[in-house]
Amino acid sequence: MTQKSSGFFNWINSRLPIVNTYERHLSKHPVPKKVNFWYMFGALASVVLIIQIVSGIWLMFGYENTEEGAFASIEYIMRDIEYGWVIRYMHTTGASMFFAVVYLHMFRGLLYGSYHKPRELVWVFGMTIYLVMMAEGFLGYVLPYGQMSYWGAQVIISLFGAIPFIGESLEIWVRGDYYISGATISRFFALHVVALPLILIALVFMHLVALHEVGAGNPEGVDIEKHLDEDGVPLDSIPFFPYKVLNALVAIGIFGIVFSIIMFFFPEGGGYMLELANFEEANPLVTPEHIAPVWYYSPYYAMLRAVPDKLGGLVVMGAAIAILFVVPWLDRSKAASIRYKGILSKIAMTIFIISWLMLAWLGTVPVTALRTTLSIIGTIIYFAFFLLMPIYTSIEKTKPVPERL
Amino acid sequence: MKKFLLVAFLLIGYQEAFAAGGAPCGDYGECDSFKPELNNIESLQLGALTFINHCYGCHSLKYSRWGRIAKDLDIPENIFNDNLVFGANVKLGDRMTGSMKPAVSETWFGIAPPDLTLVTRLHGSDWVYTYLRTFYEDSLMPYGVNNMVYPGAAMPNVLASMQGQQILSCKDVPIIASNGGVRRDEMGNDITEEKCGYLKTIQGSGTLSVQEFDKVIYNLVNFMTYVGEPSRSDRERMGWYAILFFVVFTALAYLLFREYEKDYH
Repeated sequence: MTQKSSGFFNWINSRLPIVNTYERHLSKHPVPKKVNFWYMFGALASVVLIIQIVSGIWLMFGYENTEEGAFASIEYIMRDIEYGWVIRYMHTTGASMFFAVVYLHMFRGLLYGSYHKPRELVWVFGMTIYLVMMAEGFLGYVLPYGQMSYWGAQVIISLFGAIPFIGESLEIWVRGDYYISGATISRFFALHVVALPLILIALVFMHLVALHEVGAGNPEGVDIEKHLDEDGVPLDSIPFFPYKVLNALVAIGIFGIVFSIIMFFFPEGGGYMLELANFEEANPLVTPEHIAPVWYYSPYYAMLRAVPDKLGGLVVMGAAIAILFVVPWLDRSKAASIRYKGILSKIAMTIFIISWLMLAWLGTVPVTALRTTLSIIGTIIYFAFFLLMPIYTSIEKTKPVPERL
Repeated sequence: MKKFLLVAFLLIGYQEAFAAGGAPCGDYGECDSFKPELNNIESLQLGALTFINHCYGCHSLKYSRWGRIAKDLDIPENIFNDNLVFGANVKLGDRMTGSMKPAVSETWFGIAPPDLTLVTRLHGSDWVYTYLRTFYEDSLMPYGVNNMVYPGAAMPNVLASMQGQQILSCKDVPIIASNGGVRRDEMGNDITEEKCGYLKTIQGSGTLSVQEFDKVIYNLVNFMTYVGEPSRSDRERMGWYAILFFVVFTALAYLLFREYEKDYH
């Protein structure tokens, strides 16, 4: 391409590295030739990010960031703007699907040890993206200013109040008022549509740059860089374009089917994606019977509620997310992939998945004594999985990892 | 270990069965199921008529506009204006903000009647359908009626003239044995006990039969389901096209992928 390119292309390329960048990161970028469907969720996450940005911009055309107008403006988008409902459901479905694909993407990382040397930073950037996404999702959920927006925000913001000494002032600072009001909505709006998306895009960029520096992993945990051809390209790799792109297109097609089914036929997601209480405008005088977060926060909400003390709950919830950042240094196994890890890792992973799903369910239902006990057990298993990882990954016997893919 | 797990699961299951707390439709238990027919224009029109004549006096539909309903329900503007729109100053583009002032209604009912645009989305159409049919006479309540779904509801039974008098009554019901079957005596007859809390309409006290009244409420709730999300029938229709598009897209992408995959397999 470089040789044949026209004068115009040469002119541009000697001033702006378009062709080099295109070749390095797209057309010639080597990716492992044998991966499975678990490796599609990264591409899907970037598709959802684009959906969220585009639909978000369109929503802003009709949204009003005031206490009096927010709720009515959502209904205005749903009713009076042509196809406004398409844009809105795209955004609400997109939010849930974003978390769904990111959770599967993260789980892939755990399953195949995608954080193993030299991909530690890729993982850390990814976790930071997840953290920012959680904040972004929360801020966005407050904007329609329904009952659950209001009371969910009340619960979450009051967590800041549990921090010793500065808590109370911090709470007021975050809200911008003594209670949740128009001031809260307008600052949450600014953060949701400008500040956090900018950070998110920057982090995604870093995630990808770091990934392209070290190369993508594979389900076997084989280091494809060990066997190169005479041009220095890994023998077990294929160029990103067109092979990987075609692979991704199939995934995007299937994802489109799933997305359409949810968006057009179950936009409320049974009350887990759009909570039914949020079809009522925020009312500071009436507390809903049961305040539950949307499904994607529920495991951490269950942990928060498992601890009777507010500050303790906050610390546990924070630690549950913080511990994910250090996974690359907790896993001492010689094998990256679960396929070659020992029996202890496999048992630990199975128990972890079950308890995570249990916590996810517990976070959506009202508390009973038994459920609190289950939440405590789930929380202990969650932390045990990570804290014991250095032990069980180093004492177990791993199977030899093959040389080639 | 297996026994322990079994016991643990049974224990959890047992507790979970009772943890659910209040049934979705209050004293009534499970709500009666409601399946909307959003393409049944006649039902929606009749429902709109019932709403405007019997509900709109107190309840607004403030997120909805008059003209949108006329258009979606295929009602010609002049007929719509003459029969459904009350008030000389109302324009078709206006929102349906109701005709009662909140201050007045609060003195009358103790609470302002809520806006009903989104009520079917908030509580579900099943809930609304059941609620509207479960008023019963209760002399202790200010309006002489109470509601099974929402005990203590501040709303009078506006449609009582159609439905007639509905009262709580008792009846004999078979006793269910612990094995799930009906308990019988030595003669093989079902053993029954008297249970109360059943709704009973006094025949002939209303202008409609039970079936006719249910139909009126069905149409009304069908209309309210439509108002809750006027784009819903469009959404469900368009959904099939979107899915079809992605099915074709996936098929083509897969064929192309298969072709290129030969290069490295």
